[in-house]
Amino acid sequence: MRLVIRQALLLSFKDTRLFFKDRFALGFALLFPILFIVAFSLALGDLGPEDDQLRMAVATEEESGFSREVIDVLTITDSTGVDEWDPKDAGLALHEGRIPGYLLFPVDFTQRIFSGEGTEILVVTADGDPETEAVLGGLARSIGGRIGTLSLAARGVTELEGFGSLDLVKLGQLGAAPPSIVFTTEQVGDVEPFNASNFTLPGYLTMFLFFAAALGAEAIARERQTQTLERLLSNGVRRSAIVAGKMLASLYRGLIQLAFLWALGIFAFSIDFGVSPVAVIAVSVLMAVASSAFGVMLASLVRTVKSASSAAVLASLTLAPLGGCWWPLFITPDWMQAIGRLTPHGWANDAFNKLMLFGAEGQDVLMHMAALLLFAAVFLAVAVTRFRTVSAS
Amino acid sequence: MAYMEDFLAATGLTKSFDSVQVVNSVSFTVRSQEIFGLLGPNGAGKTTTIRMLSTVLDPDDGDVTIGGHLVAKESDAVRKLIGVCPQELALYPELSAIDNLVFFGRMAGLSSSEAKESAADVLERVGLTDRAKDAVRKYSGGMKRRVNIAIALMSRPQLLFLDEPTVGIDPQSRNHIFDTVLALRDEGMTVLYTTHYMEEADRLCDRIGIMDEGQIIALGTPAELKAQVGDADTTTLEEVFLSLTGRSLRD
Repeated sequence: MRLVIRQALLLSFKDTRLFFKDRFALGFALLFPILFIVAFSLALGDLGPEDDQLRMAVATEEESGFSREVIDVLTITDSTGVDEWDPKDAGLALHEGRIPGYLLFPVDFTQRIFSGEGTEILVVTADGDPETEAVLGGLARSIGGRIGTLSLAARGVTELEGFGSLDLVKLGQLGAAPPSIVFTTEQVGDVEPFNASNFTLPGYLTMFLFFAAALGAEAIARERQTQTLERLLSNGVRRSAIVAGKMLASLYRGLIQLAFLWALGIFAFSIDFGVSPVAVIAVSVLMAVASSAFGVMLASLVRTVKSASSAAVLASLTLAPLGGCWWPLFITPDWMQAIGRLTPHGWANDAFNKLMLFGAEGQDVLMHMAALLLFAAVFLAVAVTRFRTVSAS
Repeated sequence: MAYMEDFLAATGLTKSFDSVQVVNSVSFTVRSQEIFGLLGPNGAGKTTTIRMLSTVLDPDDGDVTIGGHLVAKESDAVRKLIGVCPQELALYPELSAIDNLVFFGRMAGLSSSEAKESAADVLERVGLTDRAKDAVRKYSGGMKRRVNIAIALMSRPQLLFLDEPTVGIDPQSRNHIFDTVLALRDEGMTVLYTTHYMEEADRLCDRIGIMDEGQIIALGTPAELKAQVGDADTTTLEEVFLSLTGRSLRD
């Protein structure tokens, strides 16, 4: 076992060294994605926080009640980017194209919350405007989550202290929940739903991580053709060490890509990892593991360098759109989302969207992480059983 | 030259790919400290035979013993005795010669210091000490071939497989390789050498096996083979080869 680990590490270090000497590979893995990210972030109309911020409209049909409290908090400063509208005016403004959409609290919002029946916040947008829908959906989700917590606390405090009515400020003073201004501002700010790079960067990162790993199959096929793998085998190198070494090298490359592109995203595109940065990193690492296993599996399924190149391009350009790298899966029909779930790209992108667009937490993407791990295991199993060191010719 | 016992013995080696029989019941021996030539037209089965002898491919049938170890059962022991120089340039052109040598030496189990020491020795042997730190892609064809051989020498093998080591190189590099191979033999190494060039086999090999269509069709010293088809003094090995394998194209 020690021998296999030693050989695998030596092989992976050598391959990583070759990666840094190969200008094309470096450019493809690190620079090419930037072109796509810049182009598509611009195309989607927003490249960072310095650009115009999308204003969000909220309206309520209640004359008084909980929704009024929420709107007061949301509109207390201009920096939240939220404006209160009269429901009728908001409908008219949407119809005339003056606002892209709005949140609407129904007339029985407060009553239903306290009766325990549950209620809904309506997201009203123009047809074919998924970006606004995503933004308002994220806001509605965060409001809904926080209201659930507060109403529970309110009822508890009311019972204990004998309050007859709901008063958020008093609740904050009592320490039953953080001051409402703080929670709202944090939630909206952390989710950063306005930056298009929050979607484009993870998408193209996913695509190019798998693409670069798939092109690694070409390098493995070339080594098979030049009898380098054969030479290693006759040198006493274990086949398992070759598979592990190739996968490790691909993993290192993937981690380098991740570190470079995420860092670029944070510093140049002001992307936001949302409320659970650790989960974003965990999904990223699992995606790198799955992509490296995918590359080695591809190498084990092809016979020649030419077929490896073709398979890498075909697989990458098919799986990327299916897996939501070019457009968000949540705007596609159900059947397409179902197909997306058959790809590791789909699970990775869905997790990134949840974490970076909709304010999800780590526990919300545990299934996504498990799916990526499962993909990695299946790819690796195929690679191990099918990997050949000797050229067919 | 006084030969020791057989260092390699192949018995009934057989291998098929996709129902095409590439090697058909091949048997021969290579004695210690001899240069054994394996000659044959394209597609004769030479490379497949070497792959089976060097533990890379499992034969469908037959046995190979190297240095007293059965390849099928003691491949690890066999791999410590052999060095393989494949037909292709099995190296990393972006790395320097010294980095290639150290990498393959370490993969063969040498420590870092042992690999560096061995690399310096073999670079001197193949005449590339001065260019050791240059990337191999900048080398001439002959220099690349010499690095290819040098890698096979890194673990100081007792049996060296050279699969067409002089393809496509200039006469100077070819002569350098001949001198290297003869020197290795004189130092006690056993060499199994495949080539298309008859004059090369005539000059280097102590014994020759001629393969055609997956079988050994003639075996002996160059003089013995020449005597089979004419006067040993005037007949060339090429005439022997064409006489035994025919004149039809094989590609």
